[in-house]
Amino acid sequence: MTFIKSGATIAALALLASFGNIADKTVDRQFGGSKPLTQLKAGIWVDPDGCDHWIIDDGAEGYLSDRLDKYGKPVCSGIAPPTMAIGDFKKGGDIPDFL
Amino acid sequence: MKTGMVTRFLLNAVRGALGGLAIAAIATVAPNVSLAAQKDQGKVVGERYIPGIWVDPDGCEHWVMDDGLEGYMTPRVNRQGIPVCHRVNLCGVMNSDTLFATDSARLSATGRNKLIDFFKKSQAFSYIIAGHTDSRASGEYNLDLSLRRANAVARIAKKAGARITDVRGYGERMPVAPNTTAAGMQKNRRVEIMCIR
Repeated sequence: MTFIKSGATIAALALLASFGNIADKTVDRQFGGSKPLTQLKAGIWVDPDGCDHWIIDDGAEGYLSDRLDKYGKPVCSGIAPPTMAIGDFKKGGDIPDFL
Repeated sequence: MKTGMVTRFLLNAVRGALGGLAIAAIATVAPNVSLAAQKDQGKVVGERYIPGIWVDPDGCEHWVMDDGLEGYMTPRVNRQGIPVCHRVNLCGVMNSDTLFATDSARLSATGRNKLIDFFKKSQAFSYIIAGHTDSRASGEYNLDLSLRRANAVARIAKKAGARITDVRGYGERMPVAPNTTAAGMQKNRRVEIMCIR
C-alpha cells in the first residue's frame, strides 16, 4: 500500500471518488452541474430489427430504453431506417459530444 | 479495517474513472476480504441504487439512474410486463357495434365512412390496430374474430393513406369492463387504434 502515500495521487483519486459512491442516483451529476433526470430530452433510435428505443445523450451520459406500447410490446414504427437515430436528444448537457 | 477502507476507496475511485473492466482487474490484485465476512453474517453485499423516474413522450415511466459517470435506464413494467403509463396514446376506440354486425368482420357502410374520416383527420405517423371481443363464445373463436375485425379496420386505414405498424387480435383477454352485464360486454367489444407520433 506504499504506492498510495503520494499526496497528489490521493487528491486526484478523491476527486474521482466523489462521483463514485452516491446512493441517490436520481440526479444527473456531471462536470457542468446537476439537474433532475426527469428533464431529459429523448430522441428515437431504431434498432437493426426496426424497433424504436428512446435515446438520450446529455453530454456526459447516454441512456437507452425500450419504447413499448400499452400492452408491453415493442413499438416498431418505421419512423426511421434501422440503426438511425432521430430527434433532438443531444441537448441535455454543457459538454460537447465529439462522437 | 484501515486497509479494507483504503481498498474500497481505491475501488470506488477507479471504478468511477474507468468502469467495469477496471474493477475486474483491480479485484484480482486486491480482493476485498470484508465482502465474504459480510456475506457470512447474512447481510446484503452491494451498493444502493435508488432510481429516478423519467416519463417518455408517450407518457410511460422508465427507471433512470446516474451514479456520476455512467447513466442507466430501463422501462418500468408491472409483473405482467405491462408498462406503467400516465396517459396512453390511444387516439381512437371504436365500438365494434358501430362497425360490424354480430359475429361479422365485414365493415358496415357507416363504419367504413367513420374510419376513413378518422384516419384522414388524424395526424399520427403510424397506427397499431388491436381488436377485442366480449367473453361470449369460445376464446379461440374470439381471438380469430378480433383479429379479422382489426384487419378490416387496417385495410380501410391503408386505403385512407395511413401507415399501419401492427395489427392484433386480443380476443376476450383484455377486457376494459366486467363481462357480467350487457353494458360491460358492449364496452369490451371494441377496436383500439394506437397512434404512434
